[in-house]
Amino acid sequence: MNASHDQSSSDAAREPVLVASGLRKTYRMGRVPVQVLKDASIEVRSGEWVAILGASGSGKSTLLHLLGGLDRPDRDGGMIRFEGRRVSEFGGAELNTYRNRSVGFVFQFYHLLPELSVLENAMLPCLVPNRWLSATLPLLAAVIGGGVGAAVGSTFGVDILPTADAPTPAKIALLAVTCGVLGAAIGVVLFQLGQVVAERTRLRHGPQAAISRNTLEEFGLGHRLRHRPSQLSGGERQRTAIARALASEPGVLMADEPTGNLDATTGREILDLLKKRHDAGLTIVMVTHDSAVAEYADRIVRLEDGRVVESKA
Amino acid sequence: MYQPLLANRYLGSRIIPLIAVAAVALCVGLVIIVVSVMSGFLDMLLNSGRTLMGDVIIRYADPGIPHYDLLIEEIKSRPEALAATPVVESFGLLKLPYGNRTEGVQVWGIDPASFDQVVDFKDSLVWKEAPPEVQAFAADMNGLEVPVFDDLPRLDPGVDGGDPGVILGVEIDSAAKVRRMDGSYEVKAPAFWMPFRDVEITLIPISTSGALEKPDNRRFDVTNEFQSGVYQIDSRRAMIGLDTGQRMLGLEAAPIYDNRLLDETGELRRIGTYPARVQMILVRAADGVSPEGLRDSVNLAYAAFAARINDEDTMTIRPPDQAFVGIRTWREQLRDLIGPVEKERELMRILFSIVYLVCAGLVLSIFWSIVHEKTRDIGILRAIGASRPGVLGVFLAYGLVIGLVGAFLGALLGWSVVVNINGIHEAMGEPAPDWTWMTAFALAAVMLATAIHAAIRGGMLRTLLSIVGALVLAGVGTALVLHSGFLMWDPAVYYFNSIPNQVDWSSAILTMAGAIVFSVLGAAIPAAKAADTDPVKALRYE
Repeated sequence: MNASHDQSSSDAAREPVLVASGLRKTYRMGRVPVQVLKDASIEVRSGEWVAILGASGSGKSTLLHLLGGLDRPDRDGGMIRFEGRRVSEFGGAELNTYRNRSVGFVFQFYHLLPELSVLENAMLPCLVPNRWLSATLPLLAAVIGGGVGAAVGSTFGVDILPTADAPTPAKIALLAVTCGVLGAAIGVVLFQLGQVVAERTRLRHGPQAAISRNTLEEFGLGHRLRHRPSQLSGGERQRTAIARALASEPGVLMADEPTGNLDATTGREILDLLKKRHDAGLTIVMVTHDSAVAEYADRIVRLEDGRVVESKA
Repeated sequence: MYQPLLANRYLGSRIIPLIAVAAVALCVGLVIIVVSVMSGFLDMLLNSGRTLMGDVIIRYADPGIPHYDLLIEEIKSRPEALAATPVVESFGLLKLPYGNRTEGVQVWGIDPASFDQVVDFKDSLVWKEAPPEVQAFAADMNGLEVPVFDDLPRLDPGVDGGDPGVILGVEIDSAAKVRRMDGSYEVKAPAFWMPFRDVEITLIPISTSGALEKPDNRRFDVTNEFQSGVYQIDSRRAMIGLDTGQRMLGLEAAPIYDNRLLDETGELRRIGTYPARVQMILVRAADGVSPEGLRDSVNLAYAAFAARINDEDTMTIRPPDQAFVGIRTWREQLRDLIGPVEKERELMRILFSIVYLVCAGLVLSIFWSIVHEKTRDIGILRAIGASRPGVLGVFLAYGLVIGLVGAFLGALLGWSVVVNINGIHEAMGEPAPDWTWMTAFALAAVMLATAIHAAIRGGMLRTLLSIVGALVLAGVGTALVLHSGFLMWDPAVYYFNSIPNQVDWSSAILTMAGAIVFSVLGAAIPAAKAADTDPVKALRYE
């Protein structure tokens, strides 16, 4: 009783990190609107593990997608706040940054990129930041390459024209433009090649690589860093997915049926791993239909027919 | 910056992008080969025309241009002109020394020294010395005198008389020698080698009133043969001396008599001299002067020349009115040849521009399927915070690399084929060596064995691919066995005796840039579809 009281008082002391109130979400099935969430509200405090429990079709995954910024509620369909900021009113760029920095997703089917190694998959969120520079540099490479190409074309264009083609200003200009296009293409591709080399270096020696490598080693995947996802077992894949979700050190980990595709033993291993992280202070929102899995959480929010019907510690 | 990393991995891990690169390369290579050959053909035509005619041609058919030496003097006094040479021209009959053959030829009477200054005639002479097979033949014939070739052969007989000389187009005599693929000639029948022989030429003079006069037939020593590179010229033209040509055509200087007056000896009184005439004057431009600039200067020179003659009372024979004299650049003179080829080349460029659409369609269809296949990956990227432009960038970068690599490989392919086109053509002109068809059949047998092995093991795809490979290789082997050699580029049909082998880099760069742009455009639509992917839908189902 005392312990329960202590827990309640410590919950009350902690700040809510994620608050959603009055959420409504409607999908259209053909011409028929289907309201999946009907006035759902939830509050997640810092360091808390909340399990959203519900039957299939109850709207629990939709709620997780709204909380994680993967989807938006209906117009005037409620409000979501993360650390005091209104996520539901974020623009596209802010939402991208939110998904990249503030939350981390773990999916039932792992969703790893098959072309990347385990380490590359785990580091992927660190490669994605939407800095203005990352969009500007290729354009700059194109402009520089295009300028050099156009200068070369206009200077040496006369020399490569066949005798049959009189070197008119229009022809020289056309050559300058085409050389500019070639130069721009070469500039962008050279820049990309440079980026590939830079990313490789970053993947081997960068500080983010060290963090992801440590996480993977902690998860028992130190010997699998260069392997592709297809070479891993289901449990190993899900551990890689969790390492990816933790790469950018998010405020909240969003897990959608993280053990749904695993056998019972492996599922328990995954939950133990999450618990270990939770004990270290990680906030987790987990969706599950399995009440035994939900038992790992500090608090269970039961969802039925798009509404929160019960929230108990 | 995950885009280059992903584009790099997508390129390296699939066969479809490599097929796209190969297809773009083939398209670009094809266009470069076709347009380069067409451009080279046009260039050769233009360069040959210029080499044959100089930069500007003054032409006035019979009775020709009188006082042409004064006109040449006037032209050469202008800074735009470097040199000028008189030419007489007529059609005649050439009797060859064997087989009782008589050919219709175009005869030009030239002054070799000034003609060389205008058209670099020396360079077009085929025989600089007697070839070894002729020297060996001469030795066998107990010291048959081998001709020695001067830089510029003398064509008109000197004061000591003798037969005049003629320089024949190298393709007029096709019996004694054969042309090698490199353009040089091998003398197969040294006894009939032209510089050992004499020919007869018959010309029919035309009177100043336009009537045909008595044909003039003379014997000529063949002093050399020339090769302009234009088959129609090399097979039809003979060069004789200017004086000889003028005499045979009645264009030499001649006395004018007054048939109403007799002199002291009772002969018709000579009242003047009808000056020698020529039908053409070829002019070469000074360095840096365009043919059009020279043409304008020659027009002024002709006007000054005509005014000078008309002002002198002693000149009874006036030059023709400038309005009737053709003063044209070599390009204008050859426009009937150049025009169609220029149009053909432009038509080829337009037709082959469709290749760009092929590139775009190809890349679009491949990328559409890749985007469809990669929907889940796109959902993952969006879920971890990738922006729409970021996802767009992955596929645009992918298309750009395919276009660029394809364009450069295509340029390499086009360059390799174009610079070796005469060698390839030569190889096609010979029967295939035995080792080629034997290798093809051996590989076909290996493929067949692989097919049987795969069929026993139950691999349908491997069986099918092996059977197709065996059939293709057997077909190639059969084609090689049956290939007896054929020349696609017959100089008797085309103007030139070799295929142009210079890459038209201006067209090549245009083609490469077009392929890149259209590859990126082809990638843009699937890339936009990828960027619009809803991450929730993309990740909803496995």
